[in-house]
Amino acid sequence: MVQNDILSILNESEALNAKVFSLVRLKLLASLAALGSDGATYRELKAALDINDGVLFANLNVLKDMGYLTSGKITSEGKELELYTITTDGHDEWKRTRTWLCRFLHCGA
Amino acid sequence: MEADEDLAVQVPPLRSMNMEKRKKVIAFFKELGFEFNISRFDDRLIAQKLVCLLDLRGINLGYPCSIYVRGPYSPDLTDDLFGFTSEFESLETKARLSAAEKETAGDLGRIFGQKPVHLEVGATYGYYALRQNCNPLEALRQVKRLKPFYSEAQIALGISKAKEFLFRPTPKDLEELKMETGVWQRVSLKSLEK
Repeated sequence: MVQNDILSILNESEALNAKVFSLVRLKLLASLAALGSDGATYRELKAALDINDGVLFANLNVLKDMGYLTSGKITSEGKELELYTITTDGHDEWKRTRTWLCRFLHCGA
Repeated sequence: MEADEDLAVQVPPLRSMNMEKRKKVIAFFKELGFEFNISRFDDRLIAQKLVCLLDLRGINLGYPCSIYVRGPYSPDLTDDLFGFTSEFESLETKARLSAAEKETAGDLGRIFGQKPVHLEVGATYGYYALRQNCNPLEALRQVKRLKPFYSEAQIALGISKAKEFLFRPTPKDLEELKMETGVWQRVSLKSLEK
């Protein structure tokens, strides 16, 4: 039986990684999950999400340390850029988080 | 039981439709002389923007684009590029382009070539102007917001190429242009007569 009471939904959050729940990290995971194996460069993330360098770099590193992102150098039109790609673990965590958020918000509506 | 039978009938055509759309994109790549290599970032970018520009020009390839952090982009196309890499890299296709499609591919190749910057700026501008119905100034603002790492000159050139590829002058536009410039033409002819 599916439990829809708020307490059950809140308790389900224990299966999630609490460290993902910051606005910047959610934005990064959501953005990179949509691009799959293609990934996005640092400069694209910075411009599109309007996040300053310090915050962006620190949060990308946290997600990398958790095994949710990988990064590597690529060359685009002769320029060396840093490319960030979501990992399978990152994808799974984003899916779990998203599913839970949908349930949580629907419950609160 | 009835639902299962329906599903059995529906699944093969869906797979065949997916293959068909993939093969059509490959036919466009072939026509454009675009030798795709999945390991090259610029090639993946070019593939995305070519499909998006064709979509904006009215050629529906079955890979709809929306705005993501990388500008107009199709995650479905990414899935296929990575899922069927050998087909894209070897340009393996039996799909043929119609005369109109060949003409469009010719325009696309002539105007943009395979320059990632022009394609990226052009597709982004076109998306905001046509899909989001932004006026030219707002579309420009959005391009600059998403692609601040490109120079003013690169943005200007990309936009000019997008306009050339996407905005075809109608007979009414041409008539208005003729009326607007007609006065000047007549004056210059008169001055030549003197």
